[in-house]
Amino acid sequence: MDYEFGNQEIEAMTQWVTFMLEGEKYGIDVMHVKEVLRDIEIAPVPGAPPYVLGIINLRGNVVTVVDTRSRFNLPPREIDDNTRVIVIETEDQSLGLLVDQIAEVADIPKSGIEMTPNLSTDDNSKFIMGVYSAKGDLIILVDMGKLLGEEESMDGDLY
Amino acid sequence: MSFDADDEILQDFLVEAGEILETLNAELVDLEQTPDDADKINSVFRSFHTIKGGAGFLSLTPLVELCHRAEDVFGLIRNGELHINAGMMDVFLTVLDSLNSMFDELKLGQEPSAADPEQLKALDRILSGEASAGASEPEPKAQKQEPIESTATANENAAGSDSEEEKDFTDEEFENLLDSLDSEASGSSKQAGSQAAKEKSDDVDLFGLDDADDGDDLFGLDDDDSGPDDVNVSDEITDSEFDSLLDQLHGQGGSPSSSSSDEQKTKPKKEQKTEQKPKATVGGDSDIISDDEFEQYLDELHGKGQFGNVSTEDHGIDAKAEPEPKPAEVKPENKVEPPPPPPPANKPAAPEVAASKPAPAKGKRDANQVQSETTVRVDTKRLDDIMNMVGELVLVRNRLVTLDNNLANEDLSKAVNSLDVVTSDLQTSVMKTRMQPVKKVFGRFPRVVRDISRSMKKEVQLILIGEETDLDKNLVEALADPLVHLVRNSVDHGVELPDVREQNGKPRQGTVTLSAAQEGDHILLTIEDDGAGMDAEFLRNKVVQKGLMDHETAERLDKKECFSLIFMPGFSTKDVISDVSGRGVGMDVVRTRISQLNGSVEIDSEIGRGTVISIMVPLTLAIMPTLMVNLKEQSFALPLVSVSEIFHLDLTKTNMVDGQLVIMVRDKPLPLFYLTKWLIKGHEYDELPSKGHVVVVHVGTKKVGFVVDELIGQEEVVIKPLGALLQGTQGLAGATITGDGQIALIVDIPSLMSSRVT
Repeated sequence: MDYEFGNQEIEAMTQWVTFMLEGEKYGIDVMHVKEVLRDIEIAPVPGAPPYVLGIINLRGNVVTVVDTRSRFNLPPREIDDNTRVIVIETEDQSLGLLVDQIAEVADIPKSGIEMTPNLSTDDNSKFIMGVYSAKGDLIILVDMGKLLGEEESMDGDLY
Repeated sequence: MSFDADDEILQDFLVEAGEILETLNAELVDLEQTPDDADKINSVFRSFHTIKGGAGFLSLTPLVELCHRAEDVFGLIRNGELHINAGMMDVFLTVLDSLNSMFDELKLGQEPSAADPEQLKALDRILSGEASAGASEPEPKAQKQEPIESTATANENAAGSDSEEEKDFTDEEFENLLDSLDSEASGSSKQAGSQAAKEKSDDVDLFGLDDADDGDDLFGLDDDDSGPDDVNVSDEITDSEFDSLLDQLHGQGGSPSSSSSDEQKTKPKKEQKTEQKPKATVGGDSDIISDDEFEQYLDELHGKGQFGNVSTEDHGIDAKAEPEPKPAEVKPENKVEPPPPPPPANKPAAPEVAASKPAPAKGKRDANQVQSETTVRVDTKRLDDIMNMVGELVLVRNRLVTLDNNLANEDLSKAVNSLDVVTSDLQTSVMKTRMQPVKKVFGRFPRVVRDISRSMKKEVQLILIGEETDLDKNLVEALADPLVHLVRNSVDHGVELPDVREQNGKPRQGTVTLSAAQEGDHILLTIEDDGAGMDAEFLRNKVVQKGLMDHETAERLDKKECFSLIFMPGFSTKDVISDVSGRGVGMDVVRTRISQLNGSVEIDSEIGRGTVISIMVPLTLAIMPTLMVNLKEQSFALPLVSVSEIFHLDLTKTNMVDGQLVIMVRDKPLPLFYLTKWLIKGHEYDELPSKGHVVVVHVGTKKVGFVVDELIGQEEVVIKPLGALLQGTQGLAGATITGDGQIALIVDIPSLMSSRVT
């Protein structure tokens, strides 16, 4: 996205960290991702919104972990060996996303991203920025800004 | 001039003048009590002047206008031409308020709004009401003037008038001015020695004139030299200005070099003086020196050699005020124009001083530098960062201590022990850097009390005790509002009207005592008044009447609990709402705020004798002593402030009273709550275990028992805020990381109670 002036010869590439959720592949802009955690010891927080699993100790910092499945309206699933927490960071907060499995970092040409038509108002598609398909592989690209931004209004809905 | 809030000079100005404004507030109120305190008047005068100087440099016209007039008025007061009265004080205080609001605007990066014309007029009225010299329109001229003119303006300011005619300032006018200044001579010569005053008839006037000068001319000059170090430049510059002024007056061309060399000599001193500024020895030596200098000018001008005796006296003064006289004394040497009959006593002194001058001046400067380097202004953000890191260190230390206990290696435990000590020391030192004297909050109270007591027509004396008690910076800020509220209440509700007091055999003047003291790891703040006191029965009836509590419950309250009723939301004993109090929101907010600070409030009162409100707050907010407990393998931290005792109880002997589980402790029923039910998911409907640890905590004045699964012990924890998603979660104050690297949630007991118990 930094290469607005790039023409067809130099394909503007973007990098996405991809992860699995309920058999689907999702992608997050690599710029937002701080790290991926394997050992997860989540301390539940009483009185927290249902989609918040709890908090973790990230080297002395307290990071809130969100159940991504619940955010995307997917059925809950037990934590297993493949489960990871993707720690994402924006200017003002860190957040952990609990995902089924981490896939890879994918290079996606900017031009290849198809913006999703805003057809449904499902929670499911609320946070989706677009999709990218290559070799029969479909990656659903998550709009981080929306995911983080929507939290506030979601809180409002809960009470 | 467009400006931008990042501008360094502006920031410096804001910080520096902000401090001045704070002290100004206190000084003004003090001054009302002791209107004749010359030191205070001088210091207020200088405060206004300094702000004006800085504001002038930054072209903040509204600030300049206000300060300029205020300064004029104080110039008159200083010279004994005006006397402070309550009406004037009101004007000054409103002026101060508008200065403060202009400051707030500046901090937000806005242009300050124009000065309220009413206030300007009010000041002008004070000025013109008493000013003896023919006053023309006061009009601050910050930028345009040349030094000479600004000196002239300044002189005239002192005489209570502003003039725009400096350009053709003639001898006659100067003489007139001198005449008009005559009256000041008595005031200023107090310092110069009254004998001198008697002897110098006409010439003495110049004293007064210069007197005004040394503070005043700055304003104009600031624009020439760079801003921040304006403050005390005055005297020196005055010299050179005066040279040129005199030259101009007498058309004697003079030697330009003399004044410019003076100027240069002045430069290094300027710095040194600026460093001294905070404790600026008010009127003191600078005035006197000017006198001294003046004598010499006079000698030159009038060719009168008759000042022998005076100058010897001046010499005595010289000793007091070393470096400053030098430029003055050097000058007559350089300047050859008038037939130089400098007084014999002075003459030998002059060259000698001139020769030795650089050395002592430098020495003094060094000393000042050393002094100035002992303090450093640090961004609070940086301190917070350090505090956070120390917090981390404490956590690591805790982890190591835990590990050490498991490993039992002697060398390791030694190392861990010393780490333990060092960390604790570091923690206290860092904490100390964040400490600020309570004075910062207390400072505003004289004003608050004065304003309310005036508006309520009460006579109240405020006594401040323990102002130097240190408190965490955040606490100082957080306590300000609740304290203001409580003090206002004391004056409004507590202290009676003077007539009523007299009838009750009390002195007409009520007393409100505000004190602070450190008690262990707590700070105890008390607000005490000798007013009417509170009637427990009245409060009891009131709460029932207001429908906030049923009759039976109210009957069961003991005396202290009755007093605490005033903290209930919606409770006000005043039937009439005044602008000070009576809305029944304040006290509720006060208690909430204080409990947010992990503090507590208590009230004791006796009818007819007065009321004491005690506030306990921890020394610091960043690190909190807690009691760690386990609930189903999960750790929770209960703030130790709230914990009063711990029991191990047979929980089968509980009773159900009114739908509430209670247990008898020392013949008193204690409501019991099973924390696991509240805080652990999936255990909401658990039965109470048959045996358990009960942590007795106090919430407000009530005590309740929390049943917990396991007690871990006392631990100092660093509060980590919960992320944005969890902000405002009921019952939790934050999280922390325990010694073993686990996360523990810090329970906010008042909020937990209010969210779970209806």
